[in-house]
Amino acid sequence: MEDTFQPVIIALCCNWCSYAGADLAGVSRIQYPPSIRMVRVMCSGMVHPNLVIEALTKGADGVLMCGCHHGDCHYQEGNLKAEQRAEAIRLMLADFGVEEERFRLEWVSAAEGPRFAQVVQGFTEQVQKLGPSPYKQ
Amino acid sequence: MAARIAAEWFSICGGCEVTILDIGEPLIDVLKQVEIVHMPVLMDHKLFGQTGENAEMDIPPADVGLISGGIRSEEHKQLAQEMRKKCKVLISLGSCACFGGIPALNNLYTTDEILHKVYRDSVSTEANGIPNEQIPPLTDRVYALHEVVKVDAYLPGCPTTPEMVAGALLALLAGKPLPTLPSKSVCDECPTKREKKSVSTLKRRFEDPEFTPGAPLTEMRCLMEQGYLCLGPATRAGCGGSDGNPRCIRAYMPCEGCFGPLSEKANPMVDMMGALSSIGLDPKQIPDRAATFNRFAGAGRLRPMPRR
Repeated sequence: MEDTFQPVIIALCCNWCSYAGADLAGVSRIQYPPSIRMVRVMCSGMVHPNLVIEALTKGADGVLMCGCHHGDCHYQEGNLKAEQRAEAIRLMLADFGVEEERFRLEWVSAAEGPRFAQVVQGFTEQVQKLGPSPYKQ
Repeated sequence: MAARIAAEWFSICGGCEVTILDIGEPLIDVLKQVEIVHMPVLMDHKLFGQTGENAEMDIPPADVGLISGGIRSEEHKQLAQEMRKKCKVLISLGSCACFGGIPALNNLYTTDEILHKVYRDSVSTEANGIPNEQIPPLTDRVYALHEVVKVDAYLPGCPTTPEMVAGALLALLAGKPLPTLPSKSVCDECPTKREKKSVSTLKRRFEDPEFTPGAPLTEMRCLMEQGYLCLGPATRAGCGGSDGNPRCIRAYMPCEGCFGPLSEKANPMVDMMGALSSIGLDPKQIPDRAATFNRFAGAGRLRPMPRR
């Protein structure tokens, strides 16, 4: 068990839905891998591609970006912006030599604690399959 | 006593040297106070003596060193180090010296790929050996000058502006501090009218933007909003000179980014892709994003695409 690769995943979660969802997963004592380092952001729409690219090129094995479901955004359309940016991020990852699968955008509402755990579980497994980031020193 | 100027050029077209001539009337003031001791483009001063008799490279000591062009070969590297030793103040002249410039687009490919393309693979080439005798070896990529030696001042631009060259030289001659670069972006200085941030389809840069000829720039709509890929948001201001209006915008053309990124660490491609995608442009529409957004800033930013 010990020699399985434990990835470092940066999770950027929006304050209003996903962070609360993660909170719910915590207080409901749902188990999920300890791979994520969570950063609370006010809205998924404020996550600049720079943040994601920088995380991935400075040694993070994966970046998970979580926001509210469509229509639920606290700021009306922040998550739509995030979705558009995510597409640009996926394109650019190839330019930096990072696998596209190391980045994922997911919608998690404040009520979806179990879903948050599931997303983290799934993404961790996906990144584990890819192995350590090519930028890892 | 006249200030001594030494100049060298590396991987460059020579346009920045023309800019020095372009200074116009202030050039008379400058020339009275300077003595050019070494400048391959202007004078016959050989590095190893007139008949190549010397073993040591000989660049005379100088007060000011002007270097244009990025570093592409071992010869450039040695010359840059020699210039650094001999010059009290070293200035990066033009975007190639500052950030690699157009030649740094080479950095998208490995040196081997380029040599093969040029001497063997290109359809119009008679395949021959790759020359390797009597020429300095190429470096692994194009370097900006400051990646190899310490640089005291930067005069970016493709070509750089006569105002900036004259300003820097006159400041040095008067013993004043060298001018520093603004930290604002081209958009901060751009006079065009901004209405609503949105772009849905890109226009090619040679299509005609909408403007009234003769009317002031303040009446033209932002070129980005008109659908032209303008690098203004991710490019350093300062190209406008005394007028203040960015040079390309003044000619009704979108900014190409020749003044380089806003900071040493900035990545214009990520900045621009983020900005454009969040105002509704399908990022797939942007042709050749790495080269388009790093057109002048390839040294240290562009690298060969990963092979899959």
